[in-house]
Amino acid sequence: MNQTVLVCDDAIFMRTMISDILSQAGFEIVGEAESGVQAVEKYKVLKPDLVTMDIVMPDMGGIEAVREICKGDPEARILMCSAMGQQALVVEAIQAGAKDFVVKPFQPSRVLEAVQRVLA
Amino acid sequence: MDLSKYAALFLAESREHLSACNGSLLEWERDPAALEPVGRLFRAIHTIKGMAATMGYAAVAQLAHATENLLDALRHGRVLTTPDVFQLLFRAVDRLGGMVEVAGDGKDEDPDTGLIAELDAAAVGPQGPAPQTTSAGPAAEEPRSRRASDAPRIRPVQVVIRPNAIMRGARAALVLRRAEALGVVSGLRPPLSQLERDEFDGRFFFRLQTKLPDAEVGAALAVVGDVDAVQFEESAAESNGTSRGRQIRVDLRRLDALMKQVGELVVAKNRLVALSSEASDPTLTELSERISRLVSAMQGEVIAARMTPVGEVFERFPRLVRDLSRDLKKRIRFDMEGEEIELDRSILDEIGDPLLHLIRNAADHGVEPPEQRAAAGKPAEGRILLSATRERNTVALRVTDDGRGIDRASILAKARREGAAPDKLDALTDDLLVRVLARPGFSTAQTVSGVSGRGVGVDVAMTRVRALGGTLEVRSELGRGSTFLIRVPLTLAIVRALLTEAGGERYAVPLAYVAETVEFDQRAVTAVRDREALVVREQVIPTVHLRELVAARSQPPAAKRPTVILEVGERRTALVVDALVGQQDIVVEPFDAPRGLPPFVGGATILADGAPALILDAAALL
Repeated sequence: MNQTVLVCDDAIFMRTMISDILSQAGFEIVGEAESGVQAVEKYKVLKPDLVTMDIVMPDMGGIEAVREICKGDPEARILMCSAMGQQALVVEAIQAGAKDFVVKPFQPSRVLEAVQRVLA
Repeated sequence: MDLSKYAALFLAESREHLSACNGSLLEWERDPAALEPVGRLFRAIHTIKGMAATMGYAAVAQLAHATENLLDALRHGRVLTTPDVFQLLFRAVDRLGGMVEVAGDGKDEDPDTGLIAELDAAAVGPQGPAPQTTSAGPAAEEPRSRRASDAPRIRPVQVVIRPNAIMRGARAALVLRRAEALGVVSGLRPPLSQLERDEFDGRFFFRLQTKLPDAEVGAALAVVGDVDAVQFEESAAESNGTSRGRQIRVDLRRLDALMKQVGELVVAKNRLVALSSEASDPTLTELSERISRLVSAMQGEVIAARMTPVGEVFERFPRLVRDLSRDLKKRIRFDMEGEEIELDRSILDEIGDPLLHLIRNAADHGVEPPEQRAAAGKPAEGRILLSATRERNTVALRVTDDGRGIDRASILAKARREGAAPDKLDALTDDLLVRVLARPGFSTAQTVSGVSGRGVGVDVAMTRVRALGGTLEVRSELGRGSTFLIRVPLTLAIVRALLTEAGGERYAVPLAYVAETVEFDQRAVTAVRDREALVVREQVIPTVHLRELVAARSQPPAAKRPTVILEVGERRTALVVDALVGQQDIVVEPFDAPRGLPPFVGGATILADGAPALILDAAALL
């Protein structure tokens, strides 16, 4: 069975791009979220193997969402998606429980490497 | 033998050891399994015991002896490290500090039998005395190396992140996260705040207390990705330490006297240069230039000799924050950065108090109690960061907390009630905020419940900092924390200044605060909130006319007047003057300000031609 992914980003463009990269690599996109609140709710329902999480989102940002998700499931496998120059936020997300990160603009190979590490 | 001449040496050396003891105790308390801190403590206390006994200070020697016994019991595992034991050791070190000072005055106290009894009791431990080995005295022994095979060991770990990796600091944070899953991490260098800003060469270092073999640790950490190497040894920087020349102790008064004389030499030199340029005698010119170079070099050396790392003042703060967090029942992590930044000794001596007030404020009023932090979605442990950075000819000292921030609305309301803020003002900018907080006794009068009582001590800090020719700024965000920024000049005695003229008198402006000089152009004049302002390269800068400030009566000169752009932090002011005279090293003379002197005068000096001139205080002109 394919591994399942929940993609969280407020930009449709980014969600589509990440979904394409991951589904071409054989993952099953089981859900998308466009806010931190949605991400937390959908995680509880879908229990995906992997979450990709944008840092800046409306209605609870990505870091807060990581904290909430990890509160319910410390083993959650969350990959942060960050823009350049957000290093301090990435560090905060890691301390909140994120397992790895990728930096935009995405190179599919880097995204897949990071995903492999998170799922290892 | 006359021991009195050794008393000063005893005092100086004991102080150093006791200060180091505080550091070692803090380090040990953070990581009770660590062996180095207890070893260092033991040796320091042992040294003090020996010196005190030689000097005949029985009270010091006896207390040191009891402390040493307890430390010995602890490092051999006969007694367990508990919070109470640490507290007792802190008290013993404090008491020793007090006794050493008294002893240094040539008096010997009675032994503190109460504290000695407590130390003795603690050294025996709750189970009664354990069988003691009879081999060597405690001093000769090293901390025990015999340990059960599966007991955790503390390993120095150095990790190198691949040079072309993206966000190396975040990668480092992932490695640390991993390491924390394997054991206890301590002694991270460089600190996380530096890693976060990518201010490192990809190498970082920490200690890991773990049961796992090195190979397993290495493999586990390398999985994080972008890791070039994991090594289990002290980094080169760690083992070599900093380069150390031979040093001697010099009485500070000697340096002060030397500085004063160099100051006078500079004034005389300036005068000589001025005279020789008038005389146009080639031999005299050559000689005066040579003297000029020699004096400048000498001045540089004397200033360098007075420069002291700010770490000397910083070192007492970790202990302060520890005690505060204990008293306030808060969890606070205290970090320091830039301890190696240097400041003139005389400024350094004055800066400790303002910092103390600001740090105390941050711990007391900034950082919230753990339950409030949890409710606000913050980590239970609050953070206070004390940092020093060199910025041009000034040093910036920042006290940053991640606490509740300052509630501007409440402060504004209170300022209105006290008539400290106009009614029409509807928000406090950072600038106004610090001015309101620094009003003497602002928040002590009556603190509105729920409002952080900041301001206690801010007025004290402000007064002290201003007296040094420095500035105090604040940045605060409600719910996110506050930063107080003290900016002081590198040195007080001799400063490079821009000489300006207004109404026939000359005024010196310290170059440290001069951003640039431009021409006052009537066409570039605009108005901001009823104030005249100058547009310089699309930036609007409020103007101040020196002629008006000093109430000059003479006829104003031509329309095109030079303008000095003053810059303190991010604030700027355009100072319009009659003329620019030139640059000069000026010696700041001790100055008892006469009553009624306007606040924009920061001091006085003697110029190269022997005439006196006032020094303008840039911060007061903004």
